[in-house]
Amino acid sequence: MIVIGENIHIIAKVVSDAIKARDAKVIQDLAKVQAEGGADYIDLNLGFCRKDPSIMGWAVNAVQEVVDLPLSIDTMNPVAMEEGLKACKKRPLLNSASGKTDSKQEMLPLAKKYDCDVVISVINDRGMPAEGDSKLDSIMDTVAYANDLGIPNERIWADPIALPASTAGEGQKNALATYEFVEMLPQALPDIKSAVGLSNISNGAPPELRPLLNHVYLIMLARKGLYSSIHDALDRDIMDISKGRKQNLVDLVYRAWDKEEMDFSSLSQEEINYVKTAKVLSGEVLYSDAWLEG
Amino acid sequence: MEYKAPVEAYSGVVREEAIGTGSKAIKIGGENILSLHLFDEGSLPNPPKFALEILDMEPVDWAEHLVEPVKDVISDPVKWAKKCEEFGADAVSIYLLSTDPAGKDRSADEAAPVVKKVAESLNIPVLVYGCGDDKKDAVVLPKVAEMCDGMNLLIGPVLKENYEVVGKAILDHGHKAWAESPLDINLLKELNVKLCHFLPPERIVIDPESAALGYGFEYSFSLMERVKQLAVITKDSMTQMPMIANLGKEIWKTKQAKESKKQGLLFETMTALGLLLAGANILVLRHPESINLVKETVGGNLWQK
Repeated sequence: MIVIGENIHIIAKVVSDAIKARDAKVIQDLAKVQAEGGADYIDLNLGFCRKDPSIMGWAVNAVQEVVDLPLSIDTMNPVAMEEGLKACKKRPLLNSASGKTDSKQEMLPLAKKYDCDVVISVINDRGMPAEGDSKLDSIMDTVAYANDLGIPNERIWADPIALPASTAGEGQKNALATYEFVEMLPQALPDIKSAVGLSNISNGAPPELRPLLNHVYLIMLARKGLYSSIHDALDRDIMDISKGRKQNLVDLVYRAWDKEEMDFSSLSQEEINYVKTAKVLSGEVLYSDAWLEG
Repeated sequence: MEYKAPVEAYSGVVREEAIGTGSKAIKIGGENILSLHLFDEGSLPNPPKFALEILDMEPVDWAEHLVEPVKDVISDPVKWAKKCEEFGADAVSIYLLSTDPAGKDRSADEAAPVVKKVAESLNIPVLVYGCGDDKKDAVVLPKVAEMCDGMNLLIGPVLKENYEVVGKAILDHGHKAWAESPLDINLLKELNVKLCHFLPPERIVIDPESAALGYGFEYSFSLMERVKQLAVITKDSMTQMPMIANLGKEIWKTKQAKESKKQGLLFETMTALGLLLAGANILVLRHPESINLVKETVGGNLWQK
């Protein structure tokens, strides 16, 4: 699985401080450790870059000095996006466009102009489609629009959008829709890859339990054929899972998802936690922050 | 071709719980069907119950038409409760508003004996609802639990902020926990999971919060409906407790209910009816006429003895 390392994110204080101070070293170090951790792309999320869109070009150049990986340029600001894409030496990933009118008009032409890869989410002018089918319908519309602009399917990565599992039932329902989306995508739109912003699944959950939700969600999406995931490239366990290691836990999650009866007395605490989390993320058990305690 | 209505059968059962003791006790829950789905396979051993709410002090801002049925007794909680029993309530819910730190701020030692007196004077069970301030309730409710030892009252609100201390007192003194969470199914379940670390699940009643018609009612409706579906269809053990709809206090603070008796009764009846359909097992109302209006509207012979 392709991993897009999310650790250069404006929401982290070290990153926002470094950007303000134009401290390339901090950004470069974060890029290097992600590369060493096994990331395939380095995501640069610098927020909207309202004050100075050229900061994206600066960050791209800083990272390229120390890391030989392609970059994922992550901003909602089309001017900053172009600054970033323009500076990339390797074919970058535009992260992201959507089916919203302004995104179609401002972001997709940039993907064409710079011949880059582009993440397109299922969000459109009507909001976020909730079901697997409606997510597919939405992406098919936007892909048709992108094709008309001259962007071929091979360049497109489709994102069904993960929602926090903790959002009053909606997040769990949405998780099921994302599995369906990832599974159906190859038949509906050949050559289009799937991508998910993984960590959103655990937003709002107790911080110490977030990695567990991320791990299990990734295993479940991977079972459906997920091509790429944007996540924490410094979490060694999730990198192991992304690269096909930890097969014992993967098997266990599959068995829990298939509702196999399991004898907890033969499992370690870590394994029990994986099983309980799989039951939550398969919609079998209602989420609560105390899901491991039940 | 003859039409044959499909019949569903579910395997989840809502826990049956008693409130009160001996001949005073009532039972709630126990059903293995969705609310009033009497056409499905399964049973409703205990039709929804109705409690009337009193305060432990004379109300200051109640509409005249709400006070009217109890105006002679409203300054005496014991007589007021007795009157509710005469009106045909299945239980009396006493709201300890006098203990509110933002109001009279009466102490636990002042409030608890009133509850005890009310409970002893009635032939129907008592529900006790604190002032809602989690810190004050953590002092008052354990005192109530202690003074009313063994009376099997439903005591709350047990909140995520005070469940340990209030829940412990409920456990030690033989009562039921009125577990309230703020209109969120995940928080509701979390509170139950945490309470169940020390309190048996059959001693918990779920209060998902009941909003009045026009004031968020639809949130309460869909939440209760979901809880009942999870209990009966999905068999989620942590949602298989009976539910209480504490709606009277929400209804009678609305402008519409205060404006006229007719509007107030309609507001209370329609909200109660909605929450009953969503799955409430016991409903707390304020106007005695609302109980009969709800029963008449549902019709059938559900409540015939």
